[in-house]
Amino acid sequence: MALTTEEVRKIALLARLRLSPEEEATFAGQLGKVVDYIDQLKGREAAEEWLPEAADREVEDRARPCLPRELFLANAPAALDGFLLVPEVKGPDDA
Amino acid sequence: MPELWELSAEETARRVAAGETSAVAVLDAALLRTARVEPLIAAYLELFEETARARAAEIDRKIAAGQAVGPLAGVPVAIKDNMNLAGRRLTCASRILSGYVAPYTATAVERLIDAGAVVIGRANMDEFAMGSSCENSAYQVTRNPWDLAAVPGGSSGGPAAAVAAGSVPLALGSDTGGSIRQPAALCGVVGLKPTYGRVSRYGLVAFASSTDQIGPLARTVRDAAVGLRAIAGPDANDSTCSGRPLDDPLAGIEDGVRGLRIGVASEIENAGLAGDCGRNFRAALELLARAGAEPVSVSIPSLDTAIAVYYVLATSEASANLARFDGVRYGRRSPRAETLADLYLDSRSEGFGAEVKRRIMLGTFALSSGYYEAYYGHARAVLARMRQELAQAFEKADVLATPTAPSAAFRLGEKVGDPLQMYLNDIFTTPASLVGLPAVAVPSGSDSRGLPLSLQIMGKPFAEATVLRAARAFELAAAWEVAPRFRGAESG
Repeated sequence: MALTTEEVRKIALLARLRLSPEEEATFAGQLGKVVDYIDQLKGREAAEEWLPEAADREVEDRARPCLPRELFLANAPAALDGFLLVPEVKGPDDA
Repeated sequence: MPELWELSAEETARRVAAGETSAVAVLDAALLRTARVEPLIAAYLELFEETARARAAEIDRKIAAGQAVGPLAGVPVAIKDNMNLAGRRLTCASRILSGYVAPYTATAVERLIDAGAVVIGRANMDEFAMGSSCENSAYQVTRNPWDLAAVPGGSSGGPAAAVAAGSVPLALGSDTGGSIRQPAALCGVVGLKPTYGRVSRYGLVAFASSTDQIGPLARTVRDAAVGLRAIAGPDANDSTCSGRPLDDPLAGIEDGVRGLRIGVASEIENAGLAGDCGRNFRAALELLARAGAEPVSVSIPSLDTAIAVYYVLATSEASANLARFDGVRYGRRSPRAETLADLYLDSRSEGFGAEVKRRIMLGTFALSSGYYEAYYGHARAVLARMRQELAQAFEKADVLATPTAPSAAFRLGEKVGDPLQMYLNDIFTTPASLVGLPAVAVPSGSDSRGLPLSLQIMGKPFAEATVLRAARAFELAAAWEVAPRFRGAESG
């Protein structure tokens, strides 16, 4: 199944990626080849889903100390008064 | 007399603890060796010379004071740059983490340090561990010590090259679909991917959480066992880490393979492994048989689906795991974004390299509405089938053997333009990852160009001791002691 550049653009938006027209064209070709390869799985024998041993293990729900706020915020690109700082959520289109 | 940098981790620690040498002397030798080889191979993104010296001196002081030191006392180690070490930069070889400083230490790294190891640097990798050649690093190209025009493999290419070149006897890598074993194979060293759940992933940057696993790379099987023993075991900070105790992998490691049933999938034999790789694999099986192992034929019909299944599941998980890199909480933020939506788009687009974008896109596609059942759901179901087939194979065999990689190291640049060709390198390593089995790559000789080839030995869940015992017997039988040639270097 070949991917069109429109499909690639749609996937990129879902993945929160902005691609240049060149990237769109390159990825359409490359991802198309990979998806073709993956399509060999169609019609292959399958089995019931298996659950790992750990899936049944219950962990006590208990509050524990976590990373101190200042240590966490030390890696933040922008912070103010102990909070993360981001640009306005609404863009001009939402106004 | 071997130089200090040539010693195994085990022998280094023994000498340091016995006072026959000092941790500082060992570190000096390692740093000198590293200064000599690093301009050729570029295995490290950063060396921690100063803190390593302080740490080595501290170990020497403890020994002088008669205090206990761990089983890795004074052993220089390298860690892949996707494991947190408090106060140190961590980039995953990605631009998006260019300014990140680790706020805490990964459990596996902490355990290595507690055992007395001296971390000398963070080693290069494919960006976010996505790749089989180390060429996807945003920072530098690491070269194979055997041939400087060849790739070291990936994604743990930096750790593998560092170990092969004699910079360190032991390194930590991570393996999601072969990222410890394939570079170990291409660099002629030993690489162990433990059972899923054997080693804590706390502090490891997640790629595909259903298969990610930390493990050792070393020049000997015994050192890989020493490394595993140091890092394995339950961890309250990782609920996916098993509570099972580790049988000491060194206890029976010299017991040989007499009577051990070594399974070979008929699908591999029928595929007619071509050229040097096939010849080498058959010779390896013969060596094991001569050492007393009992070869048995098994059938794993779904083996040829492993790469397709892996690239659906791993990319799906990656698309979710890497959603956290959005320019808000940590990492690089695009300076040009004026709204939050643009901030996500621009930070991610500027921060991620091409392969990471490809895999995020592939995973997003496989999970997207209308395709989820056909791709993600179906891949899970085919995997369930593979799991059954492998369980049946392990009723007839104690371990399974395959080549680790379909060929020796390829040339730098040879496969960068064709992602699918790059993915096909993972044919033999992905099954153990998908099913969570322990698997070790052990050098098995060289191809016609003199580049290393490798045998993979897979075991039942949590049977690391068996896998390592078989690998040790093979290592003795194969007697691989050839040192890398640094072919292509201007000066020897």
